[in-house]
Amino acid sequence: MRPYWSPYTAGVALGATLLLTYVLMGFGLGASGAFTHVAAALEGAVAPGRAQANSYIAGYLEAGRLWAQWVVIEMLGVVLGGVLGAWSAGRFAWRLDRGAAIGGGRRLLFAFVGGATVGFASRIAQGCTSGLALSGGAVLAPGAWAFLMAFMAGGFAMAWMVRRIWR
Amino acid sequence: MSWPLTLDGGAALGAGLLLGVAFGFVLERAGLGDPKKLVGLFYLEDFTMLKVMFSAIAVASAGIALLAVFGVMDLAALAVQPTYLWPQIVGGLVLGAGFALGGY
Repeated sequence: MRPYWSPYTAGVALGATLLLTYVLMGFGLGASGAFTHVAAALEGAVAPGRAQANSYIAGYLEAGRLWAQWVVIEMLGVVLGGVLGAWSAGRFAWRLDRGAAIGGGRRLLFAFVGGATVGFASRIAQGCTSGLALSGGAVLAPGAWAFLMAFMAGGFAMAWMVRRIWR
Repeated sequence: MSWPLTLDGGAALGAGLLLGVAFGFVLERAGLGDPKKLVGLFYLEDFTMLKVMFSAIAVASAGIALLAVFGVMDLAALAVQPTYLWPQIVGGLVLGAGFALGGY
């Protein structure tokens, strides 16, 4: 199994990828937008009337087919790239990373609740750690920096409250 | 002032796929596919996320600034995230809390 890269090497490589994205596209990398597109498409398929009545969801549906959305294709690439990275480093395996004090079922439950919270929050802020903090941070968007500071504050506060679960 | 290229159609999607592959590959090689490293910052145990994120921001913003100084990049043509201060602060707080809840 190959060791991880130095965080600074990885940071420079990520910065170069982000710079190239701005050069080619005029905007940065994203993540949560892809999930919003998928959620909107699902609602559009299951309950079209309800989806069209919601102007936020309808806006996403107006963008057209799911597979023609830039951020959806990019996110598909992220999954492929992650698998490629893990596989080529000999890290590809089925396993459940969890703290010593928590069982597998509760681990998955907390992962689901945490994930849903992150998804919900990304719609409040109109972005996540990729599309807002990273990409917005690079073009010095004030809101991105406010978001990043609040993200750290929220993380530290909640980590203190739930530390018994993960220690 | 020929950049950004602002690709569209199939070229944009092809570039998006390749850029996504690079993004995912680098995140994995940085160790950020490991949930323990993702939340390590909040227990002051592992600063990988902070180091990767801030060095990436430094490289990309310095690159954009240099390209603009040499007249290659048109800053006005870049999409800059609009500022909605309170939603971004509240969203950031809740998103950070979600990260910590997700744990490892």
